[in-house]
Amino acid sequence: MSQVREPEFDRIVAWVLRIGAFGCFFIMLAGLIDGLFVHGHIPVDIERAGVLLMLATPVVRVIVACFLFFQEKDWKYGWISLGVLVILMLGLVFGIGEH
Amino acid sequence: MVTVLLVILGFFAGFLGALTGIGGGVLLTPILALHFGIPIRQAIGASLVAVITTSAASSSVHLQRHTTDIRLGMTLELATAFGAAVTAYLVGYFNRNALEGLFAGFLLYSAITILSKRGKVKPLEDESVLIVDETVIPPYEPKRYPLGLAASLVAGALSGLLGIGGGPIKVPVMYIFMNVPLMVATATSNFMIGVTAAASAIVYYRRGDILVQYAAPLAVGVFLGSLLGARMAPRIHTKVVVYLLVGVMFYLAGHLILHLLRGWL
Repeated sequence: MSQVREPEFDRIVAWVLRIGAFGCFFIMLAGLIDGLFVHGHIPVDIERAGVLLMLATPVVRVIVACFLFFQEKDWKYGWISLGVLVILMLGLVFGIGEH
Repeated sequence: MVTVLLVILGFFAGFLGALTGIGGGVLLTPILALHFGIPIRQAIGASLVAVITTSAASSSVHLQRHTTDIRLGMTLELATAFGAAVTAYLVGYFNRNALEGLFAGFLLYSAITILSKRGKVKPLEDESVLIVDETVIPPYEPKRYPLGLAASLVAGALSGLLGIGGGPIKVPVMYIFMNVPLMVATATSNFMIGVTAAASAIVYYRRGDILVQYAAPLAVGVFLGSLLGARMAPRIHTKVVVYLLVGVMFYLAGHLILHLLRGWL
């Protein structure tokens, strides 16, 4: 049965996503507002930090879930999560494709 | 000026997406490419960032209602993330016409999927909104994993090529073929979108196809729009919104097809 009720598991993963979404929103907003007053690389750098954190959020979510599965000794899903993590890292390790 | 327009565009896409349960991503790429004149790969990249933002925000809500099947989601993510990473890598081998044609096809498919439910998308989702604390989910056992993984591979591949979430493919497959209740299928699809889009967004970013000056305002707008949409959903006559969304989708599909024909004639 795949549907196991684990309120704590759900809550931890939910917090990771929430912190990521709200954190990135405020960082990107700060960059946009800064951009209204300042021209140059500082607002763009702030926005870039927000975008990169947004890209990192799902990766962190997979790492956290992987850790939780292994902690529960749920090996099957621990390895599946690790597999997802490896696939996510493919883009970082391998080339960038055709321009 | 473009920044303000991007925030507004993101806001409306996120708002419509949250109201109807269809991700806003399907609107973003074609509007960015057709009306903002942004090169198609940068349009896809910006849309991917916006899609990750909505997925993170909305699936944190679904998770707190315990309607997400994390195990099922993780398993199918093996296929969606792989498909997304591969097509993100290969997108350079597709020319603009092929991408636009594919997008027009996906828009028509999504619009028809919505119409075939005759605007019933929302009431079904409402169940999870109304029963906040003890969501009652009937016991179920996901079936036909090979089929689910194959469909997820296709959904992931389209996500990497078009900058969309792929909900209109995953939700029906989980619901109809994998024996998963609709509420769980919707929440789980939403949950998977973040990882799927991230798999391709990492490739796009490294290639330089994610320009923060487009992606950041778009994501900010989408975030605000989807928060407001989720809050206002119970008070808005959804059928009107659904037909508005379908209208926009048909318009964009038609625009893409005309654009293609003009290129050939």
